[in-house]
This record gives sequence, structure tokens and C-alpha cells, in this order.
Amino acid sequence: MDTLLIDDDSIGVFLTERLLKREGFAENIISYHSATEALAFLQRARPEELPRVIFLDLNMPVMSGWDFLEALQPQQDQLAGRCHIYILTSSLAHTDSDRTQEFPLVEGLIHKPLDSGQIQAIRAQVMATSGS
Amino acid sequence: MNNVLPVVESEQRFRSLFDHNPDLVLFQDAAGLILDANPAFLAFMGEDRADVLGRPLTDFLPPALHALFNEKLREACRGHMVQFDVAVPFAGEAPTMLSVTKIPLMVQGTVAGVHVVASDVTEQFASHQTIRDQAHKLNTIFESITDAFFLMDREWRFTYVNSEMERLLNVQREHVIGRDMWEVFPEEKHGAFHRQYQHAFETDQAVHFEAFFAKGQRWLDVKAFPSQEGLSVYFADVTEKVQSQQELYRQHSDLQQFTYIVSHNLRAPLANALGLADLLGSLDKHSADYELTLKHLQASTQQLDAVLRDMNTILSIRDKQGVAAAEPVLLAAAVEQACLSLAEPLAQCGGDVVLDVPAGLHVLGHRAYLHSIFFNLLSNAVKYRAPARALRVGIAATARPDGGVRVAFADNGSGFDLEKAGADVFRLYKRFHSGPAGRGMGLYLVKAHVEAMGGRVEVQSALNEGTQFVLYFP
Repeated sequence: MDTLLIDDDSIGVFLTERLLKREGFAENIISYHSATEALAFLQRARPEELPRVIFLDLNMPVMSGWDFLEALQPQQDQLAGRCHIYILTSSLAHTDSDRTQEFPLVEGLIHKPLDSGQIQAIRAQVMATSGS
Repeated sequence: MNNVLPVVESEQRFRSLFDHNPDLVLFQDAAGLILDANPAFLAFMGEDRADVLGRPLTDFLPPALHALFNEKLREACRGHMVQFDVAVPFAGEAPTMLSVTKIPLMVQGTVAGVHVVASDVTEQFASHQTIRDQAHKLNTIFESITDAFFLMDREWRFTYVNSEMERLLNVQREHVIGRDMWEVFPEEKHGAFHRQYQHAFETDQAVHFEAFFAKGQRWLDVKAFPSQEGLSVYFADVTEKVQSQQELYRQHSDLQQFTYIVSHNLRAPLANALGLADLLGSLDKHSADYELTLKHLQASTQQLDAVLRDMNTILSIRDKQGVAAAEPVLLAAAVEQACLSLAEPLAQCGGDVVLDVPAGLHVLGHRAYLHSIFFNLLSNAVKYRAPARALRVGIAATARPDGGVRVAFADNGSGFDLEKAGADVFRLYKRFHSGPAGRGMGLYLVKAHVEAMGGRVEVQSALNEGTQFVLYFP
């Protein structure tokens, strides 16, 4: 399934891409090193170009993951049901998971690194909602 | 004939004044014998006029006072008006306070006799005594409270100052009583104390505040109560308390920062390393991906090490360990050394540094810190230069009248949104550019090093125009 990675850390992007490919999660993976560019992409994307899954890092300069989610709110209705956003962060701060409640588009928060169990669970979750 | 009537009238007027005077009035000769006494005196003594005339005044007074009255009489007979207060213990009664005036009657240059006027001031004296007692009591209270205390009137003049205030503010009451507070402490005229007292006066409400008294380098906890007369102000030295609060606050924010570093900056390369190790296990050792993954794993462990080294650097600045005493450092040399360290990247990007640092200008501090400050500022300037134009950096230093040094460090680089960055500019691991890599350590170190030398740093920046840092060294 079409997947978008947003992470300023290039090693992080490399790792997530390879892990997703290893698990056969996605063939088409687009990655952005800045949330600003990812936002611009989503804002001009046609509905059929929208990714099914977005992995979003939180701790990024200029536009953080939270800023990105706030900027995306006007588009929430178009994205709901099409885009499944997962926060993928290395941070262990407890406050992060509380804050995800503010954003209905966020389906879950995962601590890096991704492992195969988590990847399979996400696939099952996305298939379940999209299949119906 | 016409002037007879006025003389008679005049005589009567004075007689009337004598007879109806509520004070005790009598006339003595030089020997002290009473020649005339008014009805008030006779009533006071309970005597008839006939029994009084021709007798010495001292006959009607307790023996203990005879010497005093005779002495005063002699003084009056020498031609002086005499005034004295005396407590007269008439038999079987509480002492009566008399205010006595002896006025010599001069006839052709000699004393013909003495008028004695005595007023009963017992009640007045008692109430004055009460006032004196109360003032004494108040003084005892104001002196015995542990707070410093002063009173001032509505024109800002000190009317009372206790000794704790003298001690705490290093003033002497005889130098401040009656003087304008802002004349005594001119440096506080536009400060917090003035504002708070003004507020108390205007609202007629008590105020309670803590403020820094710059002249004495102390924190004071102040309570001020307005009244019609002015302001009663109690205050205490809370410098130690405030300093330990500040220290606690600093340690708390250090701890928060430490938690943040552990949860974000230490965790990020560690999470990558964990994932890469997992990935490595599933890759063919001869594939290109295997090589790449291994390389990333190495990079991640190096990042991990870098964060730990940063933490060590930060903690050693905090602890001020291994730091020699401050010494005068030639500013131009420190700046030139930093430029030299970055000569290669500067040349590569075609950057130009214009120095305007007076030869011989010294900063009191540490050579290593100064090098780090200019190295980090210059390295940032190179890293975040504007791609569209050649980098130009201006470093200008001036001696300040107060003996300190001001250094302006300006570049024409990409700048950043200062409003958005706000307080984060100098925070550890905060970054404001998504382009070239940086850990977010440079400006943190600049600020930490400037402050470790007792200075401060200010920043101005405009997106796509450039950034200016102004450093102030003491």
C-alpha cells in the first residue's frame, strides 16, 4: 500500500523503508525529510494520489510533527478514512500519547524502531478499515 | 480732664483681668511676701484674702519646694521673666502640675515686685505623659520586631526608621528622617518599590511583594500598609531564600532538560541502532544493503557517543570544573583564531569575514570559552548561509563606558523566524533549519559560555536577511 514517511533523520528513513519492504508492507514508499514539503505534497495531491499510511516523526526542526498535524486539520474530512497516520517517534515522553487524542486522524503512536509485529498489526488495522 | 476717665477705665480693665483670671495670679515683693492675690488663687488654696496678704508664698507650699520658689523669685528680681513647671504635692492629694511664670514689675529701672501666674496643667501634663509613654512603647515595639520597619508620609518623606532598617539598608536615621525616599535611594526612583508604594497609595490597599534592592544586592520581602498619615512598611532580607529558590528552579530545569535529552536525543540514535541491528540480521552479508546498514549502524553509535560527549561538556560548564580563573584575553586574537579554524569551509563557500576589533581590546574571561563562542557563531554562519548570495560576516567590538565590551556578530545568511523560535533559540538540541545538518548544540554553548563569563547575549534575525548576535562582556 502507498506509504509516506516524514522524518528529518535520513538513517531513520532508510531503516523504516527497509523494514517496511522486508515485511512486504509497501512497495511504493515516498519519504520527505521535512514536514513542510510533505504538507505541500498532501495539499496538492489528487484523492487517488493520497497515501494509505503516513508515518510521522515528531521531533523535527522548522515544522514539528505536531505543527504538521495542526496544519492538516482543515483537510481532515478529505483525509479521514483514506489516510491512516501513525506517529513514529524515538521519544519516550508520556505526554506525546496524551496529545495524540487531539488529532482524530492519528491512529496510533509507535516508538522507534518499528518491528515486524507492529508492521503486521498496522497492516491488519488498515485493511480492516479500508476493506469494509 | 478728658484723660482722667481713660485712666480709670484702664485701671478697671487690668483689675478685671486680675480678678477674673482663671489662672492663679498674685503679686509678691522682693522678699516673697504676697501683696495681692486673685480669687482663683484664694479658691485654689481655700484661704481668705486677709489670711494671705503679707505672708510669704512659701507658707502655702510644701517645704520641699521652698528653695526652688525662692530661687526663681531671686531670678525674677534680677529682671528676668522666669518660667518653670513643677509638681506640687499638696497635703493628702495627688501632685498638681503647675506651670509657673514669674514676671518682674519694673518701675523706673528697678524691680518693684513680681507677678506670679500659675496654671494648673495637671491634665495636659497627664495626656502628654500618655503620649510620651505610647511613643516609647511604639518605639520599643518597632525596635523589637525582627523586621526592618519605616514610616513615611504622603510626600515620600521618612518619618520613622528602626535600627534593623538602618542595618539592612546601611543608612543612619539622622540622615534619612525628613528626607525624600527617592532622594535617599535615587536609583530606585523608577523601580519596583516606587511602583508598589504608589499602588498602595492609589488603591488604599496593603501591598506585599518581593523585589531586588540593587544598591544593597539583596532581595527584600516587603509589606506596606497605607494610612492617612502615609505608609507603614515592614521588610525582611530574603536573599538566601530567593537564591535557593532560583538555584532549585535552575536544577529543576536542568533535570527537565536532562530528561528531554535522554528521551529524545539519546533515544533517537539508540532506536536507529536497535532497528539497524534487527535489519542486519535479515540481510544477505554480500548485498549492498548489508554494507549500507552496517555503515548506518556505525553512524548511529557515533551519534550516541556525540550526545554523551555533549552532556559531559554541558555538565562541566555547569560545575565550572577544570576552569582556570578569569584572565584578560585579547579579543582580536580569539576572533582571528576562530576564523582560522574555519578558514577552509569559509573559503569553500566564498565567505568573507570583516573584522572591526580594536587592537588591545581585552575581555576578562577564558580563552577556550571565547574561542568556542566565535567558533560556534562563525560555524553557524557558514552552515546557515543564504544559498543565493555570498556569505558576509561582520564582527565589530567596542569598549563600553562601564568597562565592559560589546561585540556585534552579524551575517547576511538565511536567518530564522525569531518570533516563532522565541525562547528556544539558545536551547539545547533545538534547530531552526531543516537543511544542513546540525545537532542544535552551537548556540546553547555560545550562551552557556557567555554566561559562564558573566556576560549576556542578544539575538536579532530576519528570515532570508540575516542574523545578528550582540554579546556583552563585563
